[in-house]
Amino acid sequence: MLEVQTYPTVGEAASAMDDQARFLGGGTLIMNRVNYGDRRFNRIVRTTDASLSEIRVEGDRLEVGAGVTMAAILASRDLDFLSPAARAVGGPAIRNMASVGGNLMAPHPYGDLAVALLALDAVVRMVSGEELSLEDFLARRNGVVRSLLIRRPRGDEFRFRKVSRVKPKGVSVMSMAARLTRSAGRLSGVRVAYGAMASTPVRVRAVESALEGVSLDHAGITAALSAATEGLDPPDDPIASGWYRREVAPVHLRRLLLGEDAR
Amino acid sequence: MNAEYRKDLFADERSDDFDIIGKPVIRQDILGHVTGRSKFYDDHAFDGLLHMRCVRSPHHHARIRSVDSSAAERQGGVVRVLGGRDVPVNTNTLLSLINFGRDDEPLLATDKVGYVGQPILAVVATSVRAAQEAVDAVKVDYEELPHVLDVEEALKPEAPIVNEEYPNNSFDYFDTYDHQKLRFGDVETAFSKADHIVEGEYQMSPIEQAPIETCGAIAAPETNDRITVHTSTQALFFSVGVTAKQLDVSSARLHFIGGTVGGGFGGKVDSHHEPLAALACLATGKPVKYMWDRAEEMQVGGPRGGERWRIKDGVMRDGRIIARAFTGFFDAGAYTRLSSYAVQKSTGHLPGPYSIPNVASNVYCVFTNRTPSTAMRGFGITAVDFAIERHMDKVARAVGMDPIELRILNAYRDGDMKAHRREAKNCALIESCQAVAQKTGWRLSADAARASSKSGGGVGALGVIPETVTDDEGRIGERRRSGLAPEPFSGQGTRGLLPEGHSSNNSSAFGNAPQREDMEAEIERLGFIGAAGVPPTPQGPMDETASSARPIAPSETAHTTHPAGARGGPSLPAAYTQRPASTINQPFAQPPAQAPGTPAAQQPAAAEAESESATTHFQRGVRRPGVSRFISGSRRR
Repeated sequence: MLEVQTYPTVGEAASAMDDQARFLGGGTLIMNRVNYGDRRFNRIVRTTDASLSEIRVEGDRLEVGAGVTMAAILASRDLDFLSPAARAVGGPAIRNMASVGGNLMAPHPYGDLAVALLALDAVVRMVSGEELSLEDFLARRNGVVRSLLIRRPRGDEFRFRKVSRVKPKGVSVMSMAARLTRSAGRLSGVRVAYGAMASTPVRVRAVESALEGVSLDHAGITAALSAATEGLDPPDDPIASGWYRREVAPVHLRRLLLGEDAR
Repeated sequence: MNAEYRKDLFADERSDDFDIIGKPVIRQDILGHVTGRSKFYDDHAFDGLLHMRCVRSPHHHARIRSVDSSAAERQGGVVRVLGGRDVPVNTNTLLSLINFGRDDEPLLATDKVGYVGQPILAVVATSVRAAQEAVDAVKVDYEELPHVLDVEEALKPEAPIVNEEYPNNSFDYFDTYDHQKLRFGDVETAFSKADHIVEGEYQMSPIEQAPIETCGAIAAPETNDRITVHTSTQALFFSVGVTAKQLDVSSARLHFIGGTVGGGFGGKVDSHHEPLAALACLATGKPVKYMWDRAEEMQVGGPRGGERWRIKDGVMRDGRIIARAFTGFFDAGAYTRLSSYAVQKSTGHLPGPYSIPNVASNVYCVFTNRTPSTAMRGFGITAVDFAIERHMDKVARAVGMDPIELRILNAYRDGDMKAHRREAKNCALIESCQAVAQKTGWRLSADAARASSKSGGGVGALGVIPETVTDDEGRIGERRRSGLAPEPFSGQGTRGLLPEGHSSNNSSAFGNAPQREDMEAEIERLGFIGAAGVPPTPQGPMDETASSARPIAPSETAHTTHPAGARGGPSLPAAYTQRPASTINQPFAQPPAQAPGTPAAQQPAAAEAESESATTHFQRGVRRPGVSRFISGSRRR
């Protein structure tokens, strides 16, 4: 049988978790599994803890609760830079439910928001108080997340692009995010992340290093484009083949970096 | 985008009062759908609703040695486990309701399974999850059997028997043949006289209907010992009939409520959910829901069947197709469902919209160890149409001809005799080709551009049922014993000859007599009154031109591409001249054979209809007070 357990605090909920339990955020992933008769878990754990849906602002440092929904991101002036990524998730009904924490757990090819957070060097704060980089978190993907710590990007340095065949609600062929920090007119300390190009959202270090010290123009990014899929083995799925993803990635990366319109 | 209507075409054959296209029309059910108020079967809530899940075969083909559901029955929430022995009439075939085919498919498999996903047990429990867990706990001991997944492999002597009711892996037609035959003219002789032989093979895959609402039904006890069934069925009365039969109850005890179908496309006619849900309702006295999940919809739901078609054409240098032979294989999957009918439907469609004086086809409804296929939008037609049109392009390449001109040259014209022995009427392929060519800037020759569906039809051999060579090959079981090739006339069977003008079923070539007087067609209701308003006359002996026309002689099977009015000019060779109008109209103007003593009072009515035709030519729909005009309305009848 399937049991639903509700706890008043996220701490109690986290301590109720085991292999047979799934933590319910917005339910857009878990309820799908329930409807499909997934018998790998027999408990759904949820919490009514309001602190999970808080957005706290301290200067340009933001703390976003794991229960904050995509719709809440879109409604938040402080999180305006995340709007394009939040809007890329599902339709309005999904965005009303889908949470930031759940997006970190979303299986391929989902998890577009996590791609944006990865490029922003977000830090994951677990319920236990442990803090770790989003990249490290994605590598193990377990535990209950309390919030994400994000530093607000400056100016237009943050870019996000989702590529899908169906608009506006299509599933990702790929999604891409970049934080193009500059120093003395040249790119420096750039972050680039892809979604749907590996089993989880990933940072693309080959592209990041190829962008180090170059100018942001056609000539400057040439090396980055040739390294667009270096070290990646994009998966085949019903949305696109790995081959296709590899072939089109440089095109979309160029559009992302140079801010070109796709149409 | 503005639509453009070619109202110039056939303007004299219809009244120009169409006023729907181009205007917004509100779908009658859309208000309920967009406001979320349409009730689908799953929107009906019941206290204490039980849920059903099935134990399904993981094998293509296996004997069931034993089934152990004892652990499942002890699990929490499990109310009942049903097997084939609990179904009063476990074996059924959908078309048994119209006496077509033999019962061949169990509702729940007992002895063996014939496809992956075939249901064996139905578990009824208090929740979907409890039912799923009970399904996991059922132990079935299978003895795997060799399986066959290809239609032609299945017809070979060594193929495993898929369906015990049809041990030759093919549906039995007319208790005689293992295929549906079509014979028209003499393809073998025509092939020998053709300049080119063009052959092609075309394969279409199964297609899942993929409705948004998965198939299902809820059966709930009603007062007076009745059962209410809310169902997604597309075929409510099929479902009632099947349920009454399989549960062995009077249909008066079944109260079926349907009508809101969340996407059907043919995939909701198989009527498997209703009997199972109703059976569980009878067994438990509780409301029971049986609903497929998405994976079941895709794996177990009957798709459009895969089809393989081979076409062999005999073509003259100028592009005229004088013979066409088909060999078709319809993949029924493990059980018949509607595939037997799809084969007949496709046969009636041959040889496509082209006048070909010699046609033969063998079409097989083949059993394989695949998901049983069923209805889907134009099943039996779409695949063979794809094959025919691909083949027309291949023929065009073979003779070096423009593909559209090839179609215009060979297209049916009004008055041509079709291979299923009915005269072609209301043809419009030529005009469609011309319109497409014009819109796409495709250059047509002057002849092709001038051609008309209304002229040049029924000329010579193309207007009559030719002398037809028959055969008795492919009797039930013969193929399995001897490995006979599937193509028409491929064996050494006895050949017969049907005289010219003779239809295949020994009845009048132009329609059977009605069984009852009140079934007599009312000409004014049908709207069609002979092309030139010729009064019905008894059919006399075939006129000389017609009866001397040899179907296989290529020179006599040509369509003229001259426009109406230019017919039969003195410079044309004799073969291109038209038959006199009276002989053109004789066949279809002949009233169905009347019993002696039919009241002569019918005559004035016919005369009235005729005089009306002088002005309006064709009539659309019905003109009776209180009756929709569109009961039998269509553009050209």
